[in-house]
Amino acid sequence: MLARAAAKVFQTLVVLIIVSIASFSLLKLAPGDPVVIMLGTEYSQESYDELRAQLGLDRPVAVQYLRWLGDFVTGDWGNSYVAKTDIFSFVVQEALPVTLTLTACAILLAIAVGVPLGVISAVRKDSGWDVGIAALALTGTAFPSFFLGIVLIWFFAVKVGFFPVMGFVPPWEDFWSGMLHLVLPAATLSTFFIGMIVRVTRAAMVEVLAQPYITAAIARGEPRRRVIWVHGFRNILMPLVTVIGLQLGAILQGAVLTETVFSLPGLGQMLTGAVLGREYVLVQAGVMLTATLFILVNLAVDLSYPFLDPRLRAR
Amino acid sequence: MQDHKAILSKHVAARLGRRSVLKGMGAGLFAATTGGALPGFAQVAQSGHMRIGAITPIDTLDPHFTFRLGSVQIISNICNGLLKVVYDGEKVSFEPDLAATWELEDEKTHAFTLHPNVKFHDGTDCDAEAIKFNLMRVKSGTPASPHAWKLAKLEEVEIIDPLTFKLHFSEPYAFLPVALTGSIGRAGTIVSPTAVKKFGDDFGRNPVGTGPFKFVSWQQNDSIELVANTEYFQAGLPKLERVSMMLIDEPSTALAALISGQIDGMNDCPMQLTEQVRKMPNLQIFGGVEGNYTYVGMNTQKAPFDDVNLRRAVAYAIDRDAVLRQAYFGLAKQAYTPISPPMTGFYDPAIAESGRGHSFDLEKAKEFRALAANQDEIEVTYIMTENPPAGTRVAQIVAPMLAQIGIKVKLELLENAAWTQRLQDRDFEMLDFFWTADLDPDETLFPEFKTGGSWNYWGWSNPEFDRLCTEAQVVLDVAERSKLYNQAEDLMIAEAPVAMLAHFPLYKIFSNKVQGFNYVPCDLLNLDTVSLA
Repeated sequence: MLARAAAKVFQTLVVLIIVSIASFSLLKLAPGDPVVIMLGTEYSQESYDELRAQLGLDRPVAVQYLRWLGDFVTGDWGNSYVAKTDIFSFVVQEALPVTLTLTACAILLAIAVGVPLGVISAVRKDSGWDVGIAALALTGTAFPSFFLGIVLIWFFAVKVGFFPVMGFVPPWEDFWSGMLHLVLPAATLSTFFIGMIVRVTRAAMVEVLAQPYITAAIARGEPRRRVIWVHGFRNILMPLVTVIGLQLGAILQGAVLTETVFSLPGLGQMLTGAVLGREYVLVQAGVMLTATLFILVNLAVDLSYPFLDPRLRAR
Repeated sequence: MQDHKAILSKHVAARLGRRSVLKGMGAGLFAATTGGALPGFAQVAQSGHMRIGAITPIDTLDPHFTFRLGSVQIISNICNGLLKVVYDGEKVSFEPDLAATWELEDEKTHAFTLHPNVKFHDGTDCDAEAIKFNLMRVKSGTPASPHAWKLAKLEEVEIIDPLTFKLHFSEPYAFLPVALTGSIGRAGTIVSPTAVKKFGDDFGRNPVGTGPFKFVSWQQNDSIELVANTEYFQAGLPKLERVSMMLIDEPSTALAALISGQIDGMNDCPMQLTEQVRKMPNLQIFGGVEGNYTYVGMNTQKAPFDDVNLRRAVAYAIDRDAVLRQAYFGLAKQAYTPISPPMTGFYDPAIAESGRGHSFDLEKAKEFRALAANQDEIEVTYIMTENPPAGTRVAQIVAPMLAQIGIKVKLELLENAAWTQRLQDRDFEMLDFFWTADLDPDETLFPEFKTGGSWNYWGWSNPEFDRLCTEAQVVLDVAERSKLYNQAEDLMIAEAPVAMLAHFPLYKIFSNKVQGFNYVPCDLLNLDTVSLA
């Protein structure tokens, strides 16, 4: 088991290095000179050269990469040349908590809504409930989040006035206000994910319910609720956790749109701004951070299997 | 010879004429306390926290380095200029701001006195030394300010005493009043020398001026916070206690927040939202056609638009009515030449009847097309991007119009940065773009069309045009100067490196709670006189 875990960690490191090279070179290949973008329409050749040298963009690409990787690992992420702030504190202390709070709320909401719906679907397979939930799940998965966000804003914030339209209030500073601000964005972000969880839960549960140990449990006369939530649920945890881990990428992607629509100062909005502004350093830091997050979460998912399923511990 | 101050003040006063102001101009206009008025240190009680959605990009709050009008809007609330733009509902004038008096000693020497006891937000004195520091920072500082050219003719700043100084210029300089304003001109904005030295490169994130509001903080993608300067030198101002500029990328989110009362205003409003805004009883809208122009630009350096007759054919083949209606929602004004409506002494209100400039005339277009060297169907690539104010709409409307004169347009949609790169590299055949001008014909025409000009993307060159514009730079008399610019414009129009399209409007919207806003038709958002009901 330990050897397997070590192998996983090693794989993760290799993937991280590949990601770092990819994110570094992708941006180099993208069109648009960052110096020109920064200087706008009015600039002289001198200010151009000076800025280029200042940013280290006149060095060989390999040097730029190694220098950047070294700095990244040591937490020296440099200064944003647009925002003129320290990127590490900007990204990690300001943007990251916003995105983590938003994604955590969205995932919790998706689980809280999706898992029971999926279980109901499986237990009442082929009933009206099942068909209705499947239709809802499909709609949720297919609905574009930016559009849903705008619809939610117009209805719940403008017409009804229940929730604020935009902005972020840290829940650790003002819990209720923070939660009120998070309701619409979290609902927007979790919609497609709810559909996904419903479908995975249903499929896994249907399979589990057909297993002999379930039949045996029912035959023993155990209460139905206990059969489903203890014997059944325990066995769908693995596919469920796997999906949540894998879908984290999609959630982070959805966060970009959600943060823009609701004007939340998170990683997604920071990244789009940085991409549009050709802020090399900031994009690289943002991509590396989100990729690292994604990869680490999936490593955690991998490592959690033996705890979720005792049968794997023997190997 | 006429008194130069009279000429210059006439010149600056004539800049902007009657403007179509949509609403709210009845609000008590702030009669500027200029010309030796004593500074007031009356401790007025400020109240109210105003939140404004800022939907336009903000690059830096360092006035001498910003490229964005979204930044200038905020800087103008933190800093003062030597002069300021004042609008009385009919015309714009350039009046002393930090300066108490402004005299012309002779054609090339301007004498200023400052208001006494004016302090920067960091407590240091705003005296003649500080002014000199600022002007020299723009003129010859390192790194070089993009606005340095505006003070290129400044030879010396002579300090007489802490409140008196003279500016010596190498020749008469007609553009000066605009350059010295603390807003659009940017070169005359005065910041604290102590703070510049203290913050260095970070000054743009920590601006310190003398203005009605002090800078508090700038949270990226979140908000910029300002608080009232209780020791502001203009008596009784500002009226608000706090201002938050909420940084919002998505205009429809900002509008929803405004309607639901989460914010009190927006610093801009896309044209497509204005109709909806007008239907909202709790919102007020300010705005009108400002100093700018849009056009279809052609690369005169390579085929097929190295052929002047083909360019002329394009210039007359575009149905402006259709463009104005469909691309600008009927809110813009047709542009015959670059000089825009707000530049009153220079703009001819009857230009539509004058026969000058570009307009739609399909017969004329076909005549020019018949003169073109290439009589076959010509295929051109037109690069487009989501630029303000009309995005890709212009390209899509213009393309079928050019098919009528045998030009087959291939539209190529580019991401903004790629598009900008192609523009800078002159790697295009055709595109459309806009120019926002500093309310003076020089900045409107010369850098865009002079031989080798940094914004002359068209590669167009006409020595006579260059000569006329150079001559006009040192002429202070408006009528005489205007004549020179009209001649220069006619040369450009005749050879059509660009086909003129429109002068477009800019808007600000507020909730009805907002009172006392003075609209100035150059995208300013001055909050000193604003209060919340």
